[in-house]
Amino acid sequence: MSLYHTAQNLEASALGQTIRESTWLFPAIESAHLLALALLGGSVLILSLSILGVGLKISPALIFKSARRYMDAAVIVLLATGLLLGISEPVKLYGRQAFLVKMISLVVALLVTYAAFNPLIKRGASGLAMRSVTVMTMAAWLMVAMAGRWIGFS
Amino acid sequence: MLEGLVGKLADTPWSIGLHESLYLYAITESTHVMSIMLFVGTIATVDLRLLGISYNSVPVSQMLSRMLPWTVAGFILLVITGAMLFLAIPIRTYHSLWFRLKCIMILIAAVNIAIFTFKVERDKAAWDLGPVPRKSKVCAAISLSAWACVIVFGRLIAYNWFDCDSITSPTMAELTGCPLDPG
Repeated sequence: MSLYHTAQNLEASALGQTIRESTWLFPAIESAHLLALALLGGSVLILSLSILGVGLKISPALIFKSARRYMDAAVIVLLATGLLLGISEPVKLYGRQAFLVKMISLVVALLVTYAAFNPLIKRGASGLAMRSVTVMTMAAWLMVAMAGRWIGFS
Repeated sequence: MLEGLVGKLADTPWSIGLHESLYLYAITESTHVMSIMLFVGTIATVDLRLLGISYNSVPVSQMLSRMLPWTVAGFILLVITGAMLFLAIPIRTYHSLWFRLKCIMILIAAVNIAIFTFKVERDKAAWDLGPVPRKSKVCAAISLSAWACVIVFGRLIAYNWFDCDSITSPTMAELTGCPLDPG
């Protein structure tokens, strides 16, 4: 079965239909998606700014102990609400370049964050490698957010 | 008077140009949304500390002095892009119920910031690392709720549920400043 068929089946699903036909469900899920975006931004930034020497003067490993739960919670809510938004209009998303860009940058952002950024912070890493990964993490999430908003315009 | 001003704004070449531009409007709105991460994101971390829920190893004074400059940077970006978004669609936005509610929430958040700055944080040296006083928790809770509402109401401006052409009750006409459709 082709990807386009999968999109058509998702669009016809009960969940997809319910969200699409409701007046307030899509905006409500969108709002939760945006609130989680703010929370993710905060937890990534409080770590990044400290690592780059322009934020808190506390060891990033110590900040991470508090920040990680918000980061994880925000990522979970973003993925769950994003999935619901996608299920309600998959055929529209199928052809959108902005959506493809968002999905690619999302995979990159998740990989950089959970395979490099977080483990390096936990290990107490510093120096050029840590700072480069930090900039990459911020850039990747920025790209996800930008491409995400762009879906609505394309 | 305000309505006349908004009408004049809508006739300016700046407004028409923004409205009709292919990319500038989209770039402005995307930047507005991304700036939320910087502005509300940093506010949320500070508020979680002021609630005494998280980041308790960070002194309150340091949290405020090292994070708030970034909050201000986010605020400047939001005000510039927000003003541009208003300029692009002045009349509809002016009458939008959600935009009006958003402004009220921003006002509440601003008063809350003033109370925090001039009253609550005055004696913060006494609780820099110790248990957070109740007044700080109240301010942080108001701040978190108000900014969350600002985000949600801001998003809802895009929906046309209460646009002037669908107003039928006198109360809604009053709230949105729309003329009441006689039909």
